[in-house]
Amino acid sequence: MIQRLQRGRREGESMSCLLAPLCLLNLLLSPLSLGAPISPAEPISQAYSLALYMQRNTSTLLQTYLQYQGSPFSDPGFSAPELQLSSLPPAAISFKTWHALDDGERLGRAQGAFLALTQHLQLVGDDQSDLNPGSPILLAQLGAARLRAQGLLGNMATIMTALGLPIPPEEDTLGFVPFGASAFERKCRGYIVTREYGHWTDRAVRDLALLKAKYPG
Amino acid sequence: MDVSSCLRGPSWMVGSKRMRMASNFRWLLSTLILLYLMKQVNSQKKGTPRDFKCKTQNLQVWNCSWKAPPGHDGVYKVCIENRPHSCYQSEKGNVKIPRLPPGDHEITINLSRGLGSSMSKFLLNEKNVYFTPETPEILTLSADFPTSTLHLKWNDKGSVYPHHSDVIWEIKILHKENTEIIKLITHNTTLTGKDTVHHWSWTSDLPLECATHYVGIRCYIDDRHFSGHKQWRSSDSQTKVFPQDKVIPVGSDITFCCVTQEKVLLAQIGQTNCPLIHLDGENVAIKIRNISVSANSGTNVVFTTDDNMFGTVIFAGYPPDIPQKLNCETYDLKEVICTWNPGRSTALVGPRNTSYTLFESFSGKYVRYKRAEVPTNESYQLFFQMLPDQEIYNFTLSALNPLGQSESTILVNITEKVHPHTPTSIKVKDINSTAVILTWHLPGNFAKIKLLCQVEIIKTDLVRELRNVTVKGVENSSYLIAVDKLKPYTRYTFRIRCSSDTFWKWSKWSNEKQYLTTEAIPSKGPDTWREWSSDGKNLIIYWKPLPIHEANGKILSYNVSCSSDEETQSLSEIPDPQHRAEIQLDKNDYIISVVAKNSAGSSPPSKIASMEIPNDDLKIEQAIGMGNGILLTWNYDPNMTCDYVIKWCNSSRSEPCLMDWKKVPSNSSETVIESDQFRPGVRYNFFLYGCKNQGYQLLRSIIGYIEELAPIVAPNFTVEDTSADSILVKWEDIPVEELRGFLRGYLFYFEKGERDTSKMRGLESGRSDIKVKNITDVSQKTLRIADLQGKTSYHLVLRAYTDGGMGPEKSMFVVTKENSVGLIIAILIPVAVAVLVGVVTSVLCYRKREWIKETFYPDIPNPENCKALQFQKSVCEGNSGLKTLEMNPCTPNNVEVLEARSIVPKIEDTEIISPIAEHPEDHLEAEPENHVVVSYCPPVIEEEIPNPGVDEAGGTSQVIYIDVQSMYQPQAKPEEEQENEPVGGAGYKPQMHLPVTSAVEDLAAEDDLDKTAGYRPQADVNTWHLVSPDSPRSTDSNSEIVSFGSPCSINSRQFLIPPRDEDSPKSNGGGWSFTNFFQNKPND
Repeated sequence: MIQRLQRGRREGESMSCLLAPLCLLNLLLSPLSLGAPISPAEPISQAYSLALYMQRNTSTLLQTYLQYQGSPFSDPGFSAPELQLSSLPPAAISFKTWHALDDGERLGRAQGAFLALTQHLQLVGDDQSDLNPGSPILLAQLGAARLRAQGLLGNMATIMTALGLPIPPEEDTLGFVPFGASAFERKCRGYIVTREYGHWTDRAVRDLALLKAKYPG
Repeated sequence: MDVSSCLRGPSWMVGSKRMRMASNFRWLLSTLILLYLMKQVNSQKKGTPRDFKCKTQNLQVWNCSWKAPPGHDGVYKVCIENRPHSCYQSEKGNVKIPRLPPGDHEITINLSRGLGSSMSKFLLNEKNVYFTPETPEILTLSADFPTSTLHLKWNDKGSVYPHHSDVIWEIKILHKENTEIIKLITHNTTLTGKDTVHHWSWTSDLPLECATHYVGIRCYIDDRHFSGHKQWRSSDSQTKVFPQDKVIPVGSDITFCCVTQEKVLLAQIGQTNCPLIHLDGENVAIKIRNISVSANSGTNVVFTTDDNMFGTVIFAGYPPDIPQKLNCETYDLKEVICTWNPGRSTALVGPRNTSYTLFESFSGKYVRYKRAEVPTNESYQLFFQMLPDQEIYNFTLSALNPLGQSESTILVNITEKVHPHTPTSIKVKDINSTAVILTWHLPGNFAKIKLLCQVEIIKTDLVRELRNVTVKGVENSSYLIAVDKLKPYTRYTFRIRCSSDTFWKWSKWSNEKQYLTTEAIPSKGPDTWREWSSDGKNLIIYWKPLPIHEANGKILSYNVSCSSDEETQSLSEIPDPQHRAEIQLDKNDYIISVVAKNSAGSSPPSKIASMEIPNDDLKIEQAIGMGNGILLTWNYDPNMTCDYVIKWCNSSRSEPCLMDWKKVPSNSSETVIESDQFRPGVRYNFFLYGCKNQGYQLLRSIIGYIEELAPIVAPNFTVEDTSADSILVKWEDIPVEELRGFLRGYLFYFEKGERDTSKMRGLESGRSDIKVKNITDVSQKTLRIADLQGKTSYHLVLRAYTDGGMGPEKSMFVVTKENSVGLIIAILIPVAVAVLVGVVTSVLCYRKREWIKETFYPDIPNPENCKALQFQKSVCEGNSGLKTLEMNPCTPNNVEVLEARSIVPKIEDTEIISPIAEHPEDHLEAEPENHVVVSYCPPVIEEEIPNPGVDEAGGTSQVIYIDVQSMYQPQAKPEEEQENEPVGGAGYKPQMHLPVTSAVEDLAAEDDLDKTAGYRPQADVNTWHLVSPDSPRSTDSNSEIVSFGSPCSINSRQFLIPPRDEDSPKSNGGGWSFTNFFQNKPND
């Protein structure tokens, strides 16, 4: 339960959105299409593009989220790396361990993390509709992030299929949610979720870059 | 899932101490001790009971005790005197006796000891019995942590006490076990003889979780005995900051605490750091005063430890404002809609937002408002289903949020608050051409009320009419009314709105519905007129199209019939655009009737008689209009029985001509004719007919203009005849179309001038050389212009004018003929004079031939006679004999140059004989100033009459240069000026002089003139005192004799080009001729 992550707050990244939404739609829909490609290069490339696109928006999501939570969350430079959620696997990993992971493990951990993230983003969205019902921008960004995480999950499943890896079963990572969580706890867990979403997206970009290099088209 | 907010230790305890819930509280009633102590005077000094006293806890039983004498064991027998069965035995020093009635009682205590006994006596009264209540027992003490409230429950054991009595409870709350009282209150109750459980609640400033709380309670009569204590411990919780998620009013004070094992470094609310209040252990609290309003997501309170942060969220807002502008009405009498304004924002959202409940007190029903996600200041509304047979509703709207509630009420009679929906489905059906049925749909069940509806009727011409209609309300929402008093064949636009007849609000206007009413027969026959054709055989019948309000439909055709006593001719089904028919008739008296037809039927016929009654006494009159119309008046004639008709026509059209006509009732005597066809500057003929015995008589014939304009052409004129002194001009009429008004006359201008030089200068500029003749007799067509000069070019201009202005001008150049008699005289006189001069000269030459020969052509030329060699003869002779051309030593003379340029130029040749100083004063004044002394070798020419101003020594002489700038002689000067300064203006004088101003010549001048006829010396010698600078040399500067008459001595100037005079004959441009002597100047 006690988890500490010695990781600094993510610095602001380029928020520019270079990919058109249509492109995103294409990326989301592609895993659903019938006849999965035999070569893993194409789904890896698609997943990589999506992860890159997500990476550009994670910082915005975190900043938007914090901005609506009031001080000290909204203070410039806010960071609380000590806050962790037991139900959400941390993205931090030693480089050596990470590098030594095999494809199945690598994809399986990312898969598990994004599965947890989609559920947590849903929870945070619900929390925020109570705390900030008049903030459609925040709610929309949370919804969009959840959709992208689901899209990345689909892409990863396609890659695993293409690589002949077993797809881990979808599980309820949230478990029993303390519905009586206080407003402060909700704010904190929202912060952890949006922060970890960024971390996991960063890690997914590196994961996929590695796979892309390994399975060139 | 949980937020792992503590970093050390897998588990976590909230309190540092366990709450001890053990209850050792007791009822402690104060004891009323009635101690009656009556020691007998002779009581035993030792060995007898003493200090007898009684007390009670429940007032029923008295517990009496005494002090036994030391070392004496035995059995006490306590007896109450004078009461049966009132002895009690006890082995100890106390005994319980039932409550005794008020008053003194004698108590005896006998101590039996072995063989002996001792007895003591006491007096006992209730007043001396001590009463100590039993210790109160706390039944439960519970804590409501979210609200930081303690709930205390205890039993008063009222059944123990025989009668009612008031009880005062004192409750105290402590921190840190009996050391720190944070609250002390009193609570009053009454004993009722039964056991009663009492409640008391207390809300803590400090969250209960923050510290251990103790509660004590006692009741007071007169003893301050304390009762037991109660202790609790807080429940387990993983949150460490209290309170959590609390909603508090803005401006209130609140305390937060952090229960922790770690050292808290910093506490902040929002961005503000707060001072820490240390509680037990590491627990800390902060106190916030006057909290400000929170954002939507609340205000965060964060405690920061070395490596963690704990926090809570507080929601500071406002209790709900009283709902404002609560209004309940109904659209359809099926449901009531209540609207209100929430008033001030509560700053609380989501689950903390205000919830509203609308409660109807008569029916006891209510509806709840589902919270809006986003609080707005806009109107809220709730629907309440109406109940059958209930008209009066008493609504209470309650607003509730975590901070409080408010409400507002309204009592409505809902049938008076009907605000119907917008009527829909408007339909129109005919009844007839002037009435329609209007149906519409109005949702709702209005069977119980009447509806007041308003119909807006807009006619084609945008005339708006509102009609109010009351209709009985129906259940099925369909309504129907008849709208009458409409015009046939008219496009109407209908729309409807409704209200209840007890007016509350209009509904919105329904959509518009257009409808064209059906046709009706035309209400009148067309306006008719007739004209006989020019050959008189055909009768042309004209009629006007019916105006729309009389046509009542689309006119399809006309029927025309002519009937006389004998026959009837008819033309039928003349299609509409045609408004004229021609019927061949003999000149009988016909009655013509015209009927217009539309789809609904035929109009009543309009009739007109064909007969024209002649009128011998007819004049043509003139009339001028007023710009837009023309006013015609006539005398009332009782014979005219039907009406008057004015017809008019453009006068340039050929007969029969008819533009339009107008009928005027027979009782009127004037009318204004107006027509869009009227144009200014066009001549119209107006004919006024009177209707008499079914025939029309032409009464007046008028020509007129609606507005007069200036003619657009000039009269065409020609010169009929010219003579040496007159011209006869003739012109033609201007056509009526181009005249554009009644001709009022002509203007004839003439002036001398030729085609090239005097190009059309402005005639109206009032130039005096233009002569004008205004011919107002418009019938005049010729004009003779007399008193002209012969053989002179004249410029003639003619223009016509009307009241509308001047027309353009037409011009012509005419040269008058020569005067032959004058020409002959002009030739003959110079010839005669020349002959005469020749003869005289010849005679003189002949008679003086010897002298001439001697003088001019001598056989031997005499040098003395040579003028050229005679230079300064007299000088030579007079002074030094024959010293011709002897040069004297040059003696410098002073030469004065007079620079009076502005004055001197005025001196001209005419002044020689009329020497006038124009500005003598100026001259005199200027002289001393402008003398410039020049060293000069003069030609010495001295005057014979010495001027006193000149030096007689002869060494110097003054010369005045006179600059002659202008050769023109100004006007002659008055004589007075000559006399003032006879010599002032003298200067250079030309040799010849024409006597221009002979009237001012003086005698001296005449003498000079006589003497110098022929060649003439340059100047009047007498007036000269200056020498000419033009003589370059002087033979003798001292010579007093000045020789004039020699060309060698005086340089004379003559201006050979005479000044141009405007009056000179040249200006006539025709060259010099004798006729010029005979003709007058144009200005004459």
